[in-house]
Order: sequence, then C-alpha cells, then structure tokens
Amino acid sequence: MLFKDQVDFVSQHIKKNKLRVFMTVLAATMGCAFLIVLASIGFGIQDTMRKEILEDQAITEVEVYTNNGEALDISQIRTVEHVNAIVHRTSMDIMAVSQLGERSLEGNMLLTNFAEEEKSNLQLSEGRMPTKENEIVVGYQFAENLLTDAERKEMEQSTEEDAEPIGGYKESLIGKTISMSMQSYEMDEAFPEKWDFTIVGVTEKPARDWFVDTNMLVDESWKDKFQEVYEANTGNENPDLFYSSTKIYTSSLEHVKSVTEELKEMGYSVYSVSEQLEQLDVFFMAFKIGLIFVGTIAVLIASIGIFNTMTMAVTERTREIGVMKAIGASPKLIQRLFLMESAWIGIIGTVLAVIISYAVSFLANWILPMVVGAALGEDEFQDLSMTFSLIPWQLVVIASVISISVAMISGWRPARKATKIDVIQALRQEL
Amino acid sequence: MIQIQNVNHTFLIGKKGKEKKVPVLKELSFEVEKGEIVAIVGKSGSGKSTLLHTIAGFMSPEQGSIIVNGQETVHLNETERAKFRLNNFGFIFQNFQLMPGLTAFENIELPLKLKGIAHKKRKTSVQLLLKKVGLEDVADHYPNELSGGQQQRVSIARALITNPPILFADEPTGSLDSETEQDILLLIQDLNQTMGVTFVIITHDEEVANIAHRKFRMRDGVLVKGDANNVI
Repeated sequence: MLFKDQVDFVSQHIKKNKLRVFMTVLAATMGCAFLIVLASIGFGIQDTMRKEILEDQAITEVEVYTNNGEALDISQIRTVEHVNAIVHRTSMDIMAVSQLGERSLEGNMLLTNFAEEEKSNLQLSEGRMPTKENEIVVGYQFAENLLTDAERKEMEQSTEEDAEPIGGYKESLIGKTISMSMQSYEMDEAFPEKWDFTIVGVTEKPARDWFVDTNMLVDESWKDKFQEVYEANTGNENPDLFYSSTKIYTSSLEHVKSVTEELKEMGYSVYSVSEQLEQLDVFFMAFKIGLIFVGTIAVLIASIGIFNTMTMAVTERTREIGVMKAIGASPKLIQRLFLMESAWIGIIGTVLAVIISYAVSFLANWILPMVVGAALGEDEFQDLSMTFSLIPWQLVVIASVISISVAMISGWRPARKATKIDVIQALRQEL
Repeated sequence: MIQIQNVNHTFLIGKKGKEKKVPVLKELSFEVEKGEIVAIVGKSGSGKSTLLHTIAGFMSPEQGSIIVNGQETVHLNETERAKFRLNNFGFIFQNFQLMPGLTAFENIELPLKLKGIAHKKRKTSVQLLLKKVGLEDVADHYPNELSGGQQQRVSIARALITNPPILFADEPTGSLDSETEQDILLLIQDLNQTMGVTFVIITHDEEVANIAHRKFRMRDGVLVKGDANNVI
C-alpha cells in the first residue's frame, strides 16, 4: 500500500470517530503540556541563576593565584591558548585622597597596565583609555561621591537609609584634573606630596546595584614613586603596602573552561565563572530530570486514554480488519495502520502541547513577576528580569520524543491485537 | 490449477481440558482445472466452508497438501499467505463483506491500494469494471445506499479488480431474492466465459450449483458422488 493511501486510510477512520479521537488528543495534549511547563520551570530558574552569576562578574574572567605566594609566571600563562589579556592590578593599603576644587573623596587606588585593561575589554561609560602617565580612569560613582565638607556633614547626619545621595559632582569629569595625595589609615593627615592627574575615562556602571565604584585606576609605572613617598612619610621600610590580584581574560566564554583547566594543570589556584556554572548545571540537571520524570507520569496517564481508544478502534473494526486480511492485507500493514493512528494522536497532541506550553510560559513570565511583586509589595521586583519558565528547543525535543513514543507504545498492543484477528471469526461477525 | 491431496482437519470443540475432537475434513482429494466453474455442494456442517477456508489460506489443514498454481500453500506463513491471496484469489461472500465507510468505487479500489497501484491507474481499472458489472451510476454510493444485488456486484467487482486467476464464492446468492440471484449467476457465467476466471463456488443451493461445470458433494467431511453430469 502506498504511504499516501495509508495516510488517507488512517485519516478516514479518525474522521469517523471525531469526538473520541478529539478527547484522546486532548488528554495527550494536557499530559505533554504539563510535562513541558513543569520542566520549563527548571530551565527558567536555571537561566535566571546563570544570568545572576554572569551579571556578577565579567564572564570571560579567570582569577589566578599561586599556591605558595610566589609571583605568577606571566610568560608561561601567556602561552595558554585563548588567553586574551592578563590584567595584573595592584591595590595599595592606603587611602587615596582626591581633591577637585572644594570637593574631595577618600577612595582606593588601583595600579594597572592600561594596555592589558584595554585587551580585557574594560568598558567605559564615557571617555577613553589613558595614554599618558598622568591620565587616569575613575569609577562610575566617583563623581557623585566627590563631596564638599558641608555635604559630607549633612550626609553623616542623615539617618534615612534610602536617602538620595546628597550633592556630588554633577558635571562630566572627563578632562578634569584632580589633585591626589596619599593618607595612611593610621594617620589623621594626608602626606604632603600631591600629584595632578587628568581624568580621561569613567568606568561602566557596576552590574550590581549595591556596588559603589569609587576606585581610581592609575598606571602601574607609579608604583615605585608611591612606595618611596610612603616610606619617607612613615619611616616604614619594605612595607606590606601592595597586594595584587591577577585576572586572565579569555577571548570568549566558551574558552573559559579550557583555560581554567590548563592553568590548574600548571599548578595555579584558579577561580572562574565556569566553575560556578558547572556546579549550578549539575544541580539543575538533576532538578530538571526530576521534573521531566514527574511530567512523564502525566503523559503516561494520558497514554491510558490512547490505549483505550485504540483498543476500541480495533474491536469496532474487527470485521473490516478480517475483510482486509481476507483480500490480501498483510499483518504488518494492519499493524502499521493502527500504529500510525496512535502516532497521529501523539503527534497532534504534542504539537498542540508545544504551542500551549509556549503560551503558558509567556503568560507566566509576564504575569507572575507582577503577582509576586504585588504580594511582596516591592515595585522593584517587577523590574527584575526574572525568568520563571523557559522552553529551550531541547526541552521541546525531549517532550516530543517522550510523548510520541508513549503514544506509539500504548498503541502497539492494540495494533498487535489487530494483526492476530482471525479472518474466519471476523467474517462471521454480524454487520 | 488447484490440487487438493489427502487433506484432513479436526476441530476441538468444548470446554478446555474436556475438548472433543470433531473431524471436519477427511482425506479430501480433488483437482480444479483452469477456466472451469466448480461447485461444492453440501448441507450446513458438511465441511464445505472449512474446505474453502483451507484452500483460501484462512487456516491450515492438519494434514495434506494444497497446491495452487504450482505453489504449495499449506506451509506459508501469514504474511506470505496474505500476499498469495492478493495475487491469486478473489472472494465473493454471502453477506458481501463491503467496507461500510467506503463508497462502491472505493470498495472496488481497495485490493489495488493493497497492491500499491497508483491512483490514476486504479481509477481507470475501477471505472472499466464498474461498467462491466453495471454499476457506473452508483459508484459514489455507500454500501447501505445500495440494494443487495448491487452490493454483491460491488463485491464481485472487488474480487475481480486484480485479475486473479481464481475466484472463490461462498454462498454468493445466499442473501439475495431469486430474481437477483439469476442476475448474479448470469454475471458469474459471463465472467467465466469472457475473462476465463476459474470459479470455486460453495453453496447449498442446487440452482446455483447447476451453473458449474463440475459439482462436488460433501457430506460429513468427505466428498461423495454427485449428479450424473458431474465427475468425482
């Protein structure tokens, strides 16, 4: 029998029992949609958490430390494939007091190599990267924390936690020259030495709302000069003034894992986002398998409906099957026709389920943040980009395979029963 | 064309464990020649239907050999038998056995579909045959919209559509009035003469048996001598 004729044959029978087939398809749809929506919660939460992690830090960043406090072998690290930049930032255990007119700020100073920073893709909200020794980049909140003495006093008196920042420098800092001096934490006065730096860039807003970036990024060539001044003012030789951290930036996220592993093999202590993501993925893999398993139970319940429908179809058509066999239909063909019918129920059920699931998922992501936000009384919650339900194509494939397979398995027994029908008995059936 | 040799068959009747053996076919041997009409006549329970079922391959006899067109059919499996039936046999049943959900045209077309013939070719063949059995006007009618005689004509057309060399008719006029019965018998004779189809007719009706070239009479599972003009 030609495939087209087989399809015609099956569709003719389906049309004859529209209501029964519709109810069975409905059950299959509900089962499969339940499976997809349930598992989509796992995918959604995982996605939200991944985003949280990735927002927290630069995704291509790999932190590297030596185990014994020795210096890193930069040239060795450079040989690792896909290492884009090695940013060696040095912090100082000292306050950097910046002065711009009447305004001042006590912040941190970080010594770095701007060429490497540029390679690591350091994002600026305005301005450019420094090219000269006395050019610097400041943190995003640097300007708003440049306060006058009056403002500072007012701020200290303010008791409200959520109070708006008072004052601060409102204009662009680009091109402005600040005067910087150093002050030890143990001393009340700053050192007399002052340096003028021109601000040429401002970093991007930190991903986390609570993080306040008032750092100054200064070229690393200043390190010796700062140390000399420190020693001269404190009389402390060989101080533990500097401590550094090295961050490696890979060319893209997919290389983070391989770089992390290679550095570990070299004997370094390494921390990267891939480590955190890996732990998260393992947990969510188990979580999602659990959800899919629970969802599959719904599909199995729906399959009882398919089994019943197909058994009824075979019983009703016993005489017709007998005639077909008498005039030369092979048992294989009879079996295939019935399997096609149950597969059809499974396929239509799955297609409808996928459409419904996407709609439910869309509505859930749209309405739930509002509902939860209203319940918690937090307006900010609505602005959060939280994914409650996510349906990736892999989930659609898994659910379709489960749903259609279960439909075909439940149709298999009735189909086998049809092939076993005795021609003589069937022909004797009353019309 | 058909050679039956020493065919025996026994039915087990009764409750499980207490079954009784009832022999239905006993040492049957006969031959059917190409192009002839053969009638197997007998009362109910004489075993004539069981004989037809064994020759048609709906069941296997316990013993004996059935050779059709030079092919031994007793040892074929179900799939092989189905294929063999599709290529060699046509069936006319007492209660027509048409598919209620298919039109006359579609019922006749069914064996061609099973053979995997393309739609265009099927259409031409069915239309030709509809003309031959006089059903052109009711091609689109469903079985329940046709008279008994018309239904049997559809059934005959369905049996003939694949041009099988042998056609089995099990009480072909059993459900028809006497006038329609004559029409059907004339049609069978006509098809036999014009198309050379071999007919094996199972009947208890002597009038039907009279169109046969040869008659076999069955009684209690054995073939007994028939009428003067019959050869046994």
